[in-house]
Amino acid sequence: MTRIILNGREVEADPKQPLIHACHTHDSDVPMYCYHPGLTPVGSCRICQVEVKIGEMPPRVVVACRTPVTEGMIVNTEAPGAHDARRQCLEFLLKNHPLDCPICDKAGECDLQDYSFNEGQGEGRSVEPRRQLEKRKSLGDVIVLDQERCILCSRCVRFFEDVTKKPQLTVAGLGSRSTIETFMDRPLEGNYQGNLADVCPVGALTLKKFRFQARVWNLKKSFSTCGECSRGCSITVEVLRSAEVKRVRPRYNPEVNDWWMCDTGRFAFPAWNDTERLSGSATHAGASIAPKPSADPTAALDEIAAMTRVASAETIAIVASPWITVEEGALVKSIADAFGAQATFVSPPANDLKDDLLHTGDPCPNRRGLEELGFVAQTADEVATLLGGSEAGILIGERVGSLIGAERLAAVPSTSRIAVLDTELALFPAACVSIGVPTSAERTGTWVNVDGKRGRISAAKPAPTGVTALTHTLEAILARVARVGVDG
Amino acid sequence: MVIVKRKELSLRERLYLPEVVRALSFTFRALFKRKITRQYPEEGLPVTEVTRGQPRLTLLEDGENLACVSCGLCEAACPAYAITIDGQETDRFIEREPERFEIDMLRCILCGFCEEACPKDAIFMSDELELADFTREALIYDIDKLKRPKAALQKRIDYFYKVNDRWRKPSSTS
Repeated sequence: MTRIILNGREVEADPKQPLIHACHTHDSDVPMYCYHPGLTPVGSCRICQVEVKIGEMPPRVVVACRTPVTEGMIVNTEAPGAHDARRQCLEFLLKNHPLDCPICDKAGECDLQDYSFNEGQGEGRSVEPRRQLEKRKSLGDVIVLDQERCILCSRCVRFFEDVTKKPQLTVAGLGSRSTIETFMDRPLEGNYQGNLADVCPVGALTLKKFRFQARVWNLKKSFSTCGECSRGCSITVEVLRSAEVKRVRPRYNPEVNDWWMCDTGRFAFPAWNDTERLSGSATHAGASIAPKPSADPTAALDEIAAMTRVASAETIAIVASPWITVEEGALVKSIADAFGAQATFVSPPANDLKDDLLHTGDPCPNRRGLEELGFVAQTADEVATLLGGSEAGILIGERVGSLIGAERLAAVPSTSRIAVLDTELALFPAACVSIGVPTSAERTGTWVNVDGKRGRISAAKPAPTGVTALTHTLEAILARVARVGVDG
Repeated sequence: MVIVKRKELSLRERLYLPEVVRALSFTFRALFKRKITRQYPEEGLPVTEVTRGQPRLTLLEDGENLACVSCGLCEAACPAYAITIDGQETDRFIEREPERFEIDMLRCILCGFCEEACPKDAIFMSDELELADFTREALIYDIDKLKRPKAALQKRIDYFYKVNDRWRKPSSTS
C-alpha cells in the first residue's frame, strides 16, 4: 500500500490502481465518464482532473484515471485549478449534448446529468446549433444508439476490446464529426451486448427492451442472483410499482461476475412477469377438468400426506428443480429422509451458450448447493422412469415440469400419483395435487454457484395472491409426513 | 372540571317577545341588503387565469398529439401520488409519448406542482373545478378525459409565463 495525502488527509492507496480509485475509496467524489474500473483507463473525457503535487514540483492538474499513485503525492481534488478544468471540460461535453433528459432513459442515473446538476452550470454560452446526428441508430437486437447524446468516452469500444476480446465498435470520423460506429455497419453480435447500456455513462446506448419502459427513479431495486446458469452472477432486479420486473442489471461482485452479465440472464426476466400461472392450490383427484385453485393449501397438503401414506417407502419419488434454494433443498431432503426416499433433482443437459467469460453452459443455478446437500442429479429421462415406477411422486420447484418435459410427463402412468409444486400446471395432465410456488423473483434464499460461492436471492416483488413461500409449504408437508411416520 | 355559571337574564330578555322582534328585525333587514349567495349550479364560480382548477394536458398545435413526453417529472413532483404515467415509443421527432397518463382526481389536491415541474408545457391547471361522478373509477381521468386544445388553456399558460418570468432565467437551450 502506498501512502498519499488526499485533500489534507493521509490515506492508503492501492499502487496497482489509478489515482481515481484511491479518491473514490476515500470518499472523494471525483467525477468520471471515460474511466470504468473494469476497463483500461484512457483519459479521454478529462473530467476527472485533480491537482497533484509530487515532491518539490509545483502542483499540476492531471487526470486522476491515468495517474499512478506514488508515495507521498499530495492530491487536492477541489483545488481551484482542478475544479475550473473540470468545469470547462463539462461545458465542452455539454456543448453538443442535447437537452433530452425528459425523454432519456438514463435520466436519474446519468453521470453527466448528476455532475451538471452539482455544478449548477445551467446555461450554455454557445450560440452555434448543436450537432445533428442520428438519434435512433439500431445496433443489433439489443442496443439502440443515440449519436447526439454520445460524449465519445469510448467505454463501449473498450468493453468489447477488454472484456469480450472481440472488438465490434469503434470511434469513426474526426474531431466534432466523431461518432461511435460498428465496423461496416454490421449489427452487434455476442451474448454480452446488454452491458453496453450499463457502461455508457450517458443515455447514448440504451436497451431496446427497456426503451421508454419506466423512469429509473420509479424502479425499486433489490439485490439478487441470476438464475440462468450455474455462474450465479450478482444482479439487481428492478421492479416498477411492486408488480412488474422491468430490468435486470449486473451488480459488482469481484468473486463472480465483476461488473458484467450475459444477455441470457439479463433478458430472462419476462418470465417473472407472466400472470398466467399456477396460483393457489388444488386437489385434482383424477378429475379431467382442473378444479378452481383455492387460497387455502390445507386440503392439498393433506392430500399429499395421504397419497404418500398409502405408498410404500421405496416407491416415493422426490424430484426437485435445480432452481430451489439451499434452504428449500434442506427441507426437501428432510421430507425425503422422512420417507426413506432419495432426494433427486432434474439435471437438464448443458446448453450451447457456454463461453469463456461468464456463462457456464449449465442452466442449473443451484446444482452445487443441492449436490452438497446430498441430492442426486438425474436426467429428464431418468426422472420419467423414476416417476413411472413410483406410486407417489412430489415434484418441487419452479420449472420442474418444463425441465422434465410435457411428453415425458404425459407418459407417466396413472398408477403413480403425482403432487406438483410448480409455477405452471399445463404440463401436468396427471397431477393429483397442485400447489403454486413463487418464482425466484419472489423468494428469498441462497444458491451456491459452480465455484462454491454463495449467492443470495431476494424477493423483488410480492408473489401473486394464493402463493405462499415455498419454505412454508415444504415445512407444512414435512410436519404432516413426519406425523405420518410416527403414527404408522 | 369547569363550572359554567348560567348567565342571569335581564327583565327584557325574560319578557321574550322584545328579543324575538329584535331577532326578526335582523332577518328582514337582510332582505334589502346586497345578495352574497349564488345560485351555484346555474351560476358558475368566477374563474380567472389565477384559478388553480384541475390539471389538464395540452395538445400540440396540430390538435392531435399531446405535448407530454411522459418524462415523469409531474409524477415525481406530485405530493399526493395522483399521477401515473407509462411511456411508449413514437415515430414522431420527440420519440416518446405517454401510453397511459392517469390522474386520480380523488387524490389530486390541486397544488399545481405538476404544472411547475413540467419541462414541456404539457400540463396546466385549467379553470375546470367541478368534480362529481357516480363511481370512483370514473374519477381516475385518462388521456381522453384530460386532453384539451392549447387554446382552452392559453390564458393560464400566459399567466404562468408572466409570473414565472420573475425568477426564470432566459433559456439558452434550443
